Amino acid sequence: MRKRNQLFSGVFLAMLFTLIFTQSFAQSKKITGTVKDDRGVVLPNATVTIKGTKTAVSTNANGVFSITVPANATSLVISYVGMGKKEVAISSGDILDVTLIPSSANLSDVVVVGYGTKRRAEVTSSISSVTERDIKNLPVAGADQALQGKVAGVTVTNNSGQPGAGISVRVRGITSVNGNQPLYVVDGVPILTGTNSTSQDQLGGTPGQNVQSPLATLNPNDIASIDILKDASAQAIYGALGANGVVQITTKRGRAGEGKLAYDVYYGWQGVQKKLKLMNLRQYAEYYNSVVGEKNVNGLDSIGEFKDPSLLGAGTDWQDEIYQTGNIQNHQLSFSGGNGKTTYFMSGNYFDQKGIIIGSGFKRYAARVSVDQQVKSFIKAGMSVNLSRTDQKITLTDGQQSVTDLMLYNSPATPVRALDGTYLSTATIQGVPFGNTQNPVALAMLRNVTAQQTKAFGNIYADIQFLKNFSLRNQLNYDYQVGENVAFQPRIMNEQTGQLVIGPNRYRQDNTTSFYWGFQTYLTYNNTFAGKHNVNVVVGHEAAESKYSSQYATVINTTQNLQSLNAGTIDPSQTGGGKYPWAQESYFGRVNYTFDNRFSIAGSVRRDGSAAFGPGKRYGVFPAVSAGWTVTNEEFTKNWKGISYLKLRAGYGIVGSSQTGANNYTTNIRLASNASGLFGQAGAPGVPANVGNPFLSWESVKTYNAGVDMGFLNGRVDVTVDVYRKITTDMLLSTILPVFAGLDPTPPNNGYQDIEPPVTNAGEMTNQGIDVSITTQNIVKKDFSWKTNIIFSHYKNTLNKLNSEAASIAGYSPTFTPRLVTLTVPGQPVGSFYGFVADGLFRSMDELNSGISYPLPVSQTGTWLGDIRYKDLNNDKAVGDQDVTFIGNPNPTFTFGITNTINVKDFDFSVFLTGSYGADIYNFSRMQTEALFSVYQNQLVTAMDRYTATNTNGNLPRYNQWNTNNLRISSRFIEDGSYMRIQNVSVGYRVPVKWAGRAKMTAARIYFSAQNLYTFTNYSGYDPELGAFNGNITRMNLDYGNYPNPRTFTIGANIEF
Amino acid sequence: MKHTFRYYMAALLLLLTGVACKKTFLDKPSQNVPTLDTYYVNAEQVNGATALLYNQVWYNYIDKAFHCIGEVLAGNMLTSAGDPNYGFNTYVYFTVQSTDGQVLNAWQACYKVAGNATVLANTFEQKKGLVSGDKAYLDRGIAEARFIRGAAYFQIARIFGDVPIVTDPVALAASGNYNVPRYIQKDVLRFALEDFKAAEAGLAEASYQTGRVNKYSAIGMQAKVHLYLKEYDKAKEKALQVINSGKYDLYPDYKKMFTSSAANNNIESLFALQWVASGGYSYANAIQAYAGPSTLLRPDFNTGYSSVIPTIDLLREYEAGDKRKAGSVMQHGFSEPNWKNDNFPNGFVYDTTWKTSDDDAKKIKTGTRSNALKYIVGPLSSGEPLNTQGGSNMNIYMLRYADVLMIYAEAVLGTAASTSDATALAAVNKVRARAGLPGISVITPAAILHERRIELAFEGDYWFDIQRQGFNKAKQMLEAQERGTFSWDGANVDHLGITVNSESQLFLPIPQQEIVSNPELAKPAVPYY
Repeated sequence: MRKRNQLFSGVFLAMLFTLIFTQSFAQSKKITGTVKDDRGVVLPNATVTIKGTKTAVSTNANGVFSITVPANATSLVISYVGMGKKEVAISSGDILDVTLIPSSANLSDVVVVGYGTKRRAEVTSSISSVTERDIKNLPVAGADQALQGKVAGVTVTNNSGQPGAGISVRVRGITSVNGNQPLYVVDGVPILTGTNSTSQDQLGGTPGQNVQSPLATLNPNDIASIDILKDASAQAIYGALGANGVVQITTKRGRAGEGKLAYDVYYGWQGVQKKLKLMNLRQYAEYYNSVVGEKNVNGLDSIGEFKDPSLLGAGTDWQDEIYQTGNIQNHQLSFSGGNGKTTYFMSGNYFDQKGIIIGSGFKRYAARVSVDQQVKSFIKAGMSVNLSRTDQKITLTDGQQSVTDLMLYNSPATPVRALDGTYLSTATIQGVPFGNTQNPVALAMLRNVTAQQTKAFGNIYADIQFLKNFSLRNQLNYDYQVGENVAFQPRIMNEQTGQLVIGPNRYRQDNTTSFYWGFQTYLTYNNTFAGKHNVNVVVGHEAAESKYSSQYATVINTTQNLQSLNAGTIDPSQTGGGKYPWAQESYFGRVNYTFDNRFSIAGSVRRDGSAAFGPGKRYGVFPAVSAGWTVTNEEFTKNWKGISYLKLRAGYGIVGSSQTGANNYTTNIRLASNASGLFGQAGAPGVPANVGNPFLSWESVKTYNAGVDMGFLNGRVDVTVDVYRKITTDMLLSTILPVFAGLDPTPPNNGYQDIEPPVTNAGEMTNQGIDVSITTQNIVKKDFSWKTNIIFSHYKNTLNKLNSEAASIAGYSPTFTPRLVTLTVPGQPVGSFYGFVADGLFRSMDELNSGISYPLPVSQTGTWLGDIRYKDLNNDKAVGDQDVTFIGNPNPTFTFGITNTINVKDFDFSVFLTGSYGADIYNFSRMQTEALFSVYQNQLVTAMDRYTATNTNGNLPRYNQWNTNNLRISSRFIEDGSYMRIQNVSVGYRVPVKWAGRAKMTAARIYFSAQNLYTFTNYSGYDPELGAFNGNITRMNLDYGNYPNPRTFTIGANIEF
Repeated sequence: MKHTFRYYMAALLLLLTGVACKKTFLDKPSQNVPTLDTYYVNAEQVNGATALLYNQVWYNYIDKAFHCIGEVLAGNMLTSAGDPNYGFNTYVYFTVQSTDGQVLNAWQACYKVAGNATVLANTFEQKKGLVSGDKAYLDRGIAEARFIRGAAYFQIARIFGDVPIVTDPVALAASGNYNVPRYIQKDVLRFALEDFKAAEAGLAEASYQTGRVNKYSAIGMQAKVHLYLKEYDKAKEKALQVINSGKYDLYPDYKKMFTSSAANNNIESLFALQWVASGGYSYANAIQAYAGPSTLLRPDFNTGYSSVIPTIDLLREYEAGDKRKAGSVMQHGFSEPNWKNDNFPNGFVYDTTWKTSDDDAKKIKTGTRSNALKYIVGPLSSGEPLNTQGGSNMNIYMLRYADVLMIYAEAVLGTAASTSDATALAAVNKVRARAGLPGISVITPAAILHERRIELAFEGDYWFDIQRQGFNKAKQMLEAQERGTFSWDGANVDHLGITVNSESQLFLPIPQQEIVSNPELAKPAVPYY
């Protein structure tokens, strides 16, 4: 307080002096005003200077200033930490309202670096930050989704449009074949608990996607800022957990000052962006007739009702039946403030999203309290509690016999319901049955698949200041999560027809409990010597332990379709559970040294011990160093024009990963309780579950990073460029063996009843890339500002090594009978599509008899006119098993995001474009909808233009029910997945204070926004943004009944009292 | 100030040392399962492990590939139109490619059986040096595991011909060199034979638990392998050993043998896979879910897909009066009073007069107006233990006495055009007698093939009988078959015949991805011995 008083008195004296001084020469006048940021938040302690003088005042707590200026003064300069300076002409008016635009070179911003914070100016590694305002008001369930297109080097892809579904977040390419999700740290609490829903195959169909977003349980409205540690020199302080990057989330805390009540709300409508052109009934009848008309098709009769398609209606549009208008709404009420030694923040949140596919939705209820207290002059203590409950209702997608799969080829001749409203499955037209026995609408509406998470996490800390330069922080983190997943299928008969609409009755409930605690103690020393040498040292210790347990049970034939374990007969084969303990202990230290604000170097080291490895192999050491040189702080740059800021950075470091199944260091026995009773034996028989590897240890990721931060034209243009090379070595890799070895050929755990091959430290992978971030203040005027932010990310992923030369990781289609679609081999990007190269159609007998032999002889049931011709790649005059190659790469060449923000008076506009270029997609759905192998399945209208004897120029191959020649995994189904999307357009209006004030509001903004407005793409499926199937990188961009991302229109308001 | 400093430093030191964890902090052994160090130390644990070798490890073969290969290629069954899970129509049309899913399933499942059996045999061998006292249970476990490995390689050699052999998967994994060559089929069969010999030596004459293989199971399998190797004298000798043991006989009720788990492990069964309905998916015999008619399985289950149905060709093969027809297939009028469901409160009737989807519940009209009956045990009312898909406890026969009798007869016939050997005739006529058919007086290759086709229909064996006739004979047999279906009104048959072009079509191609990762597999086969 004392300093402040001095400051005030200084300012006062200066004002007084100015007053006297100016008065003696000319008429002076008094100007008052308010300084706010671009969102209308008032800025206390902003500096207001009379241009050309040293006269300055500060704004008060309400952002109000008052200054007396001489008559010859032309303008005032207003500045604020982290905001661009603004010059305001002194017009005739005496009242000025000034809006400052944040400058992107937020050199005074505080960046969370892990066990401490740093000023942006001191950062020597690669860290990107996102603030609240970048992600606020976006209609998404989790903050991970909101990062899309916002951060250079971070690729965010929705794995599914299902509300609350999993998100693929990749920091700088693909680090490992073991999963690439970064570590999320919320206020120092690592979020280690995954959330999965119950696998779809519990009810029939293939498993589908069941991984949820780990951040969906966290209320994004509580986030103040997100700092992403991108290179190893930044991550190394997280050592063992940091290999995939670290996303540090800082939540809002109270600030001293008058209490604030804020209410944020939006409401939106969601719909599917695009419909596929599937045949309607008339087109379908035409197609049917034409196939039947081909004399050589066996066993089909034409149908009287189909003879004249023009008499038919449009039939059932299964897309219309499946897609609906969804709604999304979010309400957030928060109270914050503080006085003297106490600050607080409290919030409550309700989020509710009804999906665009029937039967899907997501709800979240969240509450948060944080309190910080200056207990003594030398002890500050605080705590935070985050409580949340999420309810996800799932419509099963992404797999065979999922709703989104069945819907694509179910015949338009089949009605959804009978006249009495009951569901139907098949319909018969003149003796021929149409439709799948599973009605997709009935599946979506009658099944009940839910995932529910109840979570409490937070921390308690005490900061002890002793001596001048030391502080000791003790922090206890906790995360407790209880999950309940349900998969229920009733048994419902259509009483009229005796058809089984859905069945059998089955109810499965999974309950999981996870408890994590971590205790950190670290000592910080900070001192500046001789005004030039700043030293910051951190040393600490952390221990963490978690206990995860799961219980699941299944009952069948529940009475009256009740959804309870009590109501049916237990199915012992799907009843069980287990306990999974984990622990880690770490020591870490970091030194930062800054000389004269010009040179900075930082070094850190961490030693981690993990329970995942066997005795003797548990510890790993992860060092890092980085350095920075702020060139523009050198004398010789004084006269540089144009370049206002230049900083060079370089760093190197190693981080680790222990991401492998528990106890892989020993040979475990799998107890097959399912098979108890065989030969009358009691108890569960046990067979080896895996081949143990006692030498198993840490995977490490080395990163070299070089970066430059530049500012031009006095901060009007800011550019940050980072180049990196990231090498993953000793990758924790399940030995990939040929199938004939007899162990699990698709480890880990794909064949859970197989013996798993040993996990070894064998693989090596490289990612090289560049991250660019550019911010320009195009126009900075009093009532008109325009800012552009561009981010660009490029990485090139190469797998260098697997267990052996011959090893490869096979990625299979999500079908009952799996087919090889991707192959991951050394020298190629991970998850590359692999198959035959389609080379047009055979359109003449000459082409068929060209001297190249095909696996099937030339005949109607073999290779025939109108079939796909595959390339003979090895020139052995035969198309065989070896004529397969890499036919596509699911990794994008680059991704980008462009945000334009324009403020005109009280209006603000923003347009956010995002996109991805160069990734290929394997359109598995089109293998169904252009399959041309069964007349009972509906097809895309493109199938009308198939090759026939009379349409030899047809685009698509012939109708072929005799063999699978045309349905091989081939380049025929590879499509360009490049896209540019208008991700968000929003218009906001800041209600003037004089109006808002009448309702006792201090600030109010209303807005309208459109999310995912339009996608420019050549991709023929619903949505080119596909992500990775359950985050599995060998199954990227594989479209098989994906849930498209919705288009959303929202209206909303941010109100403060 | 100095005092405070000391105080804080002391507190700090206390904290830092206090939080350093106990050494055992990082010991988190599995709480769910035992580890190998302490396991397989008694008979129960070893017997439990070998029990699984009769069960889940075989599932992916039995599931669909079993029918596609053993029956559809053979012309005994058709797959339902365009079912992608059954290779579309390619097994019917003889257009199977190396990318087909069932090709991979068959390959993967059979090698999985071999791999599991090998790992167990090797593990037990190592354990012998570590446990004290009586180790007989380990020796027995090794013999049993080798039997199963022999059975797996026999299957692989029959399906794929020339294939790799792996005797130690763990060592292969450690070596980093996976380029194992293909070995000629004859040697693979011999490898299987060696396993059966080891099993014969290590197993007692009587099964130690009902349903386990014993010495005679191993001898019977040797007879069959010798037959495939065209070593007729040895086949005859081994078959005779089983016949003369007096331990086996034909089970009197042919139909019950395939439709009731009460008949499991009967007097005729030398080797059978054992399924556990309560084990759920992949532990239960799922054949009725796939092959059974929907009218029977629904609404108890959402299955009964009729994915595979008998061919007209097979139906025509039955002699008049052959009781095995009623025990093997369902045709119009078939009824079973004990099979009741909501739609058949008085017992199931197989009715093919289906007209519209309103008839779905009670009538069914497959392309050949029939369904296979073998391994169909009925709905819940049958009293059979069933899982939620309708999977059952029903054993799947891998070797039964009737087969041994026919192997004997065929071995006696050898390469001759015919034989009237009394012992051979007695063997075949014993099988025919149960079927209610008169005995034959001359045995010809055609007579043997006919008898095998009918007796073992839908048991996944007939394709290999055709295959071992060699290309010319096989081509002739296959091209003569009727693979068509009845026209919609049933008045005539929409004929479908196939052509067989090359010898390579007698074996399934090695899955494409295996060749991708191991180019050795594309090279000519080499001898193993």
